[in-house]
Amino acid sequence: MRGFKLDGLKLGALLWAAGLALPFALDSSWVSIAAFFAIYAITALSEDVILGRAGMFDMGHAVYFGIGAYVTAILNTTLNVPILLTLPLAMLLAAAAGALLSAPLIRLRGDYLLVATIGFNAIFVLAMQNNPGGITGGSDGITGIGVPSLFGLQLESQSAMFWLDWVLLGLVLLVMRNLDACEFGRALRYLKQDELAASTLGVDARKVKTLAFALGAALAGLAGTLFAVQLSTVSPSSFVFTESVTLFAIVIVGGQGSIPGVLLGTALMFVVPQIFRGLAEYRYFVFGIAMIAVMVLRPQGLLPRRRSAA
Amino acid sequence: MTALLELDGIGISFGGLRAVDDLSFTVNQGQIVGLIGPNGAGKTTVFNMITGVYKPASGTIRWQGNDITGAKPARIATLGLRRTFQTIRLFADMSVFENVRAGCHLAARQHWWQGLLALPAQRREEAELAARTHDILRRLDLEGVADTPATSLPYGVQRRVELARTLAGQPRLIILDEPAAGLNDAESAALNDTIFMIRDTGVTILLVEHDMNVVMQVSDHIVVINFGRKIAEGNATAIRTNPAVIEAYLGRDDDEATAA
Amino acid sequence: MGTFIQQIVNGLTVGGIYALIALGYTMVYGVMRLINFAHGDLCILGAFVGLTMLTGSAGGGHPGAALLLLAFVVSIIAIAVAGVVLERIAYRPLRKADRLAAVVSALGASLMIENGIMLVWGPQVHVFPSNLLPATTWHVAGATISFIQVMIILASLVLMAALYLFVNHTRFGTAIRAAAIDQDAARLMGINVNRVITSVFIIGPGLGAIGGLFIGIYYREAYFTMGWTYGLYAFIAAILGGIGNIPGAMLGGVLLGLFNAFAAGYVSSSWQDAITFGLLIVILLVRPTGLLGERVAEKV
Repeated sequence: MRGFKLDGLKLGALLWAAGLALPFALDSSWVSIAAFFAIYAITALSEDVILGRAGMFDMGHAVYFGIGAYVTAILNTTLNVPILLTLPLAMLLAAAAGALLSAPLIRLRGDYLLVATIGFNAIFVLAMQNNPGGITGGSDGITGIGVPSLFGLQLESQSAMFWLDWVLLGLVLLVMRNLDACEFGRALRYLKQDELAASTLGVDARKVKTLAFALGAALAGLAGTLFAVQLSTVSPSSFVFTESVTLFAIVIVGGQGSIPGVLLGTALMFVVPQIFRGLAEYRYFVFGIAMIAVMVLRPQGLLPRRRSAA
Repeated sequence: MTALLELDGIGISFGGLRAVDDLSFTVNQGQIVGLIGPNGAGKTTVFNMITGVYKPASGTIRWQGNDITGAKPARIATLGLRRTFQTIRLFADMSVFENVRAGCHLAARQHWWQGLLALPAQRREEAELAARTHDILRRLDLEGVADTPATSLPYGVQRRVELARTLAGQPRLIILDEPAAGLNDAESAALNDTIFMIRDTGVTILLVEHDMNVVMQVSDHIVVINFGRKIAEGNATAIRTNPAVIEAYLGRDDDEATAA
Repeated sequence: MGTFIQQIVNGLTVGGIYALIALGYTMVYGVMRLINFAHGDLCILGAFVGLTMLTGSAGGGHPGAALLLLAFVVSIIAIAVAGVVLERIAYRPLRKADRLAAVVSALGASLMIENGIMLVWGPQVHVFPSNLLPATTWHVAGATISFIQVMIILASLVLMAALYLFVNHTRFGTAIRAAAIDQDAARLMGINVNRVITSVFIIGPGLGAIGGLFIGIYYREAYFTMGWTYGLYAFIAAILGGIGNIPGAMLGGVLLGLFNAFAAGYVSSSWQDAITFGLLIVILLVRPTGLLGERVAEKV
């Protein structure tokens, strides 16, 4: 078992390293799609922390993705804060929002939490559209977001941005792997399986769940920053409820708590539609059918989490 | 003998029905205490109040003299008070090892960020706790099934896994809710040995049990309740001959009386 | 005073529609513990089917009451059939699976129906004919009440009363309530749970089709993404009343309609939806089981 697990890790590391070479093999529009894959993969993994691992039905995850994007957009365009500085701030604010919004709702079970998070998402989008204090730019959003600079080097080419996204995806993947093997990550699984049994073992449900929401939101905030930089513009339409539904579906279709599953889900839900842009009309129709088909044929997801051994 | 756990006049009602009423008894350090009573007498409800699942409507529960009435389950666990469930509650998607390792949760000192970064101190602690888990698996003869999915095992083995999970928390007192339920004769006899083995490591035990053989053989002290009220208390010999106990069992449930 | 009564009438009209759609959410949830995310889209599909009947066969002339009635009947039958087919294909195979699999299947069904509407009828906004109903209006204490408002309020009241009687005073209604409390126990008592579920997927979408057509006739428009918007409102109504509770969905629909109507009078329309969602969150915090729902304790 141990040897096999190590192989999975090696395979992942190899694939990631091979991915670094993508800008040499692809034209710029494909490099851009690869960059979006990395960004959405981070977002989907962050949803997996809350939904797949902790078992909390978060159907408003686009909120934290959006907070990350807006924090970076506002700080960068109005106060000229460099992107590499807005990035930790975006993560921090998204985490704070995740902890604050979830704190009162954490005792809600299953479907009620799902409905409440739908409500948060709707309110967030409406708030961004209504341009409170004139800082969110209303429906048009904010344009003219700068590019990150590293050691005085402007990362403005599509390839440079891809590498930034890809390296950060690599780091997030490492964090997700560590999560599996630490007490916090295990506590999430105990709570997901049986909250009462977990609490009699001393798991502090409120603390652990709040932390899970904060971590998931922080990673989504990171992805949101990268998203704002990649597009150099943000607008409310990128963070609507449908985006949350897609993130939710990625985790379930891919496989809850399964890193390869979530990555495959991201590729299917975000990248494949880019390929079939020409058939835009039929895209979501086919998509809906595919979602039903996958669930009926493989209710546990395409690449479910393997039962891990000692 | 020092009192570890004291129940003082606790009571609770569900929808007008008084499930437990003015119940008092004491569990002393190092004792094995049996709580018995006919079906529906309120035994599991008492356990649920002690472990914080239900909040008593009246009375106090003391742990080493400190009032812990109404504390949440996670806080109760930090005191070193652990329980099993009448309907075994193992983590279904996890192996036996992972289930027992879960019992070590409070022993883990690592912070979440140390875990996410896989810092050396965290890795060291993981190794220590894995070793502790294996040690307990060995003691309860579960090494052979360590990697088996817990809920795929026979009922009797699952009970042992749940027991191992409580022991992993290095408890002061464990509360066993019908540990012999669903066991065959051989398993039931082995359970007696296991209970003595646990007591000999310095753990105090409070158990609810239908199987009178188990209760009479292992308990130092027995508390009998019926309709939520205490009707008798004493050692096995005294309980066996107590007229109120005999009436409660003969009057309600013949099977149990013959078992006694 | 005039505006007050006007808001009440407007609120009751919209509330009646919400209630008709909310019943579909709540009945399915009650029996299957599933949020049927495709329900709103089914209702709007009903509006499109009805619209096609009305415009396709009238040839531009006055549709007439008979044709209007026919449009409703065809729409109800079509959507009820769609509901039953949906349950067979997308939900029944997942009854024993992880609940989230059924949720994602429902989300997929919603996408499929919504975009299916777009493929058949196109992405543009369709306008309902203005001459479907008499243009009669009444003036009561300064408020203007239109014929359509009276029709919607009366029809929803009658339908809700009929459903209430059916569920509470017939054998089959008792079976539905039993299955909602405990499917396994109901099965042991000889209740055919599959039949109950099928019936719930006939009644819910059937009432939803009426609600969808009312939306089309009242607002005089239909477009393919409408199912999400109105579906979400009706769903909030179901939560407000206590999801799974049939009288709760009726009460929730009417209250939400009134709440929206009055909020519209005092708050700018751009924040109106935010307030509705804020209300939803407050309800969930204060009383997650809704106004008429019962608290359930976990068995240990």
